[in-house]
Amino acid sequence: MSVLEPALYALGAVLYAAHFIRRQPALGRAATGALGAGVVVHTFLLGMATVRESALPLVGAGDALGGFVWLLAIVYLYVELTSGERAMGAFIAPFIAVLSVVAVASAEPGPRPAILDSPLFVFHVTFVLFAYASFAIAAVMGVTYVLLFRELKGRQPGVFYARLPSLAALDQMNGRAIVGGFACLTAGMLIGLVWLLQANRLVPIDPRVGAMSMTDPKILIAVGSWLLYAFQIVARTMLGWSGKRTAWLSAVGFVVILVNLLPVAYLVPTSHAFE
Amino acid sequence: MRLLVLGVSHHTAPIDLRERLAFATPDLAEAVSTLARDPALGEVVLLSTCNRTELYATCHSLEDGHEAMAGFLTSARAVPADDLRAHIYTRSEGDAARHLFRVAAGLDSLVVGEPQILGQVKQAYASAADQHATGALLNRLFHTAFTAGKRVRSETELAEGAVSVSYAALGLARKIVGDLRHASMLVVGAGEMAELTARHFAAQQPKRITVCSRTATHAEALAADVGGTVVPWGDLDAALAQADVVVTATGARTPILTRKRVQAALRHRRGRPLFIIDIALPRDVDPLVAGDDDVFLYNIDDLQSVINESLARRSSETTHAETIVNQEVERFMAWARSRTAMPTVVALRQRFEAIRRAELDRLQPKIAGLPPEARARVDEITRLIIEKLLITPTEQLKALPDEALQHSYADALSHLFALGDRNDDEDDDEPGPSPGGKGPREFVGS
Repeated sequence: MSVLEPALYALGAVLYAAHFIRRQPALGRAATGALGAGVVVHTFLLGMATVRESALPLVGAGDALGGFVWLLAIVYLYVELTSGERAMGAFIAPFIAVLSVVAVASAEPGPRPAILDSPLFVFHVTFVLFAYASFAIAAVMGVTYVLLFRELKGRQPGVFYARLPSLAALDQMNGRAIVGGFACLTAGMLIGLVWLLQANRLVPIDPRVGAMSMTDPKILIAVGSWLLYAFQIVARTMLGWSGKRTAWLSAVGFVVILVNLLPVAYLVPTSHAFE
Repeated sequence: MRLLVLGVSHHTAPIDLRERLAFATPDLAEAVSTLARDPALGEVVLLSTCNRTELYATCHSLEDGHEAMAGFLTSARAVPADDLRAHIYTRSEGDAARHLFRVAAGLDSLVVGEPQILGQVKQAYASAADQHATGALLNRLFHTAFTAGKRVRSETELAEGAVSVSYAALGLARKIVGDLRHASMLVVGAGEMAELTARHFAAQQPKRITVCSRTATHAEALAADVGGTVVPWGDLDAALAQADVVVTATGARTPILTRKRVQAALRHRRGRPLFIIDIALPRDVDPLVAGDDDVFLYNIDDLQSVINESLARRSSETTHAETIVNQEVERFMAWARSRTAMPTVVALRQRFEAIRRAELDRLQPKIAGLPPEARARVDEITRLIIEKLLITPTEQLKALPDEALQHSYADALSHLFALGDRNDDEDDDEPGPSPGGKGPREFVGS
């Protein structure tokens, strides 16, 4: 268990918040530096664990959450560096910091079941976590869109007006994150299905493999979120939805995903519990 | 040498006097050269904008400097001395530095926080430096002013927000539709206000500007002016459906853009937001239009309240900005004070070095037999000892808080170490624009 990467993520969160309030470029650079340092340490620890176990550490709920945090930090840094916008860090970095603490405090998983040795499993988890990270970014874009929208609509430009990018830019970034996340989620679910067929042949007696169906809460919620994001893409491209409605949808979609990542993963016995 | 500023600004002089005293950019060089030739003045910088004309100079006597600078303005601009005397202000030493730093930071501007003034101060300095009219003191003063201006810009919100209707509208448009180069603009009406706002938007090179007015000739004139196209009044609905930003400024007595009309346009927009700026009185847009989700409607009062908020925010930031200015004044004055101590420091170093050389010469017979590396080592060690002995008293002397105390210490050191005639050479490590600039001069801080 390492406290270094949560500490660096927390430092990044504090610095992003300070930068949001004070808007001093030096604070912004320090915030990016702290988050980047957190990612470097996290990457090193994941690499060490992979070498130790001869496989990516993706078995337990804590592993999945840790992987999600790592990917979210990387995706966010990519968005920040390509767009030049740091204001969203004040919303994402605290989230990353809190989830990294939960991930670090999670119970260590037990021995790795043999059925997880397939590369399909690694691709399945990686794609799904990458999708979740994209949806988290989309949700933050959505929430900030709504905050700025309210200020502009109320004809009282203030805190968010002075700090956030334009509504058009937030809407565009939201749309891109949703499309990217949806593609990854689709790929991850299809790969999971192929892996399930393979696992059924190899270990048909494993009760967890047998329980992998639409009645399983984790799978049910994942499919539900897939449908929700599919609707959002259809609504945006075919029904002409954009702006506030899609912003809300992406926020709701991510709440559904969080339910899957936290209470369902930690509290509800599911077919995906390999600890 | 003393530091002096003399000038007029919008605070002290009416516009007709400011106009007469203004110097066009091409005339600055000659004016600075003339001033620099005056024996009463040392280094010189002339700052001239539409709101101020100020002379910054070093001089041996404040009275003589004042007379030379005022005389220059009256003769160069043919302004009666009495007129000038009634409206000029002067600041000297630390107050002069504070004045320049406040000017560079936009604290002394007509619209507090306006950013253009820093560029104008830089231009004035560059113009004087090109004429070799600046030296160590004004180089340092102006570079510190640039730092103060930049710090105020980056560390405060003094320059934030729009302070005119057109800029407020432009800022809002950018926040709603993003990059205006990809946005279409519709101007409804072709009056003066519409023209002013359209020109501001045209400068952002929007994808398309469309002008729609009941009077075709007015619309054509405005469209030609802003590089737009004209649509007939009857095609207003179609133009509305295509626009991202709409400016309405007609003289109509009843609303032109009713809610029904705008809703019909929204149906073709597939959720794209529409920003409507209604600067007409009576209003051109039905206020109920604001109830539609994808419409952002701002009338002239809304824009004014945005401006008021910007002004209030700027006002609340002035304390923070003044603190930064004070810090930079303190930094500059500390440097200026340290210059007073320089002759004593130089003399002290020369005295110590002379003692070191004399001792090495005296010991020459004993160290002559040493290998060359060992002799070089002895030389280096003795030099380092002197450096270390002098570093603390040098720093302490430079850091003394006032001129009188510095002179007392200097006298004491002269007496204790028999410094005799002080060396008048000074270090010249200040930022400088050119080797031909005026040399460093003693500055007596206040």
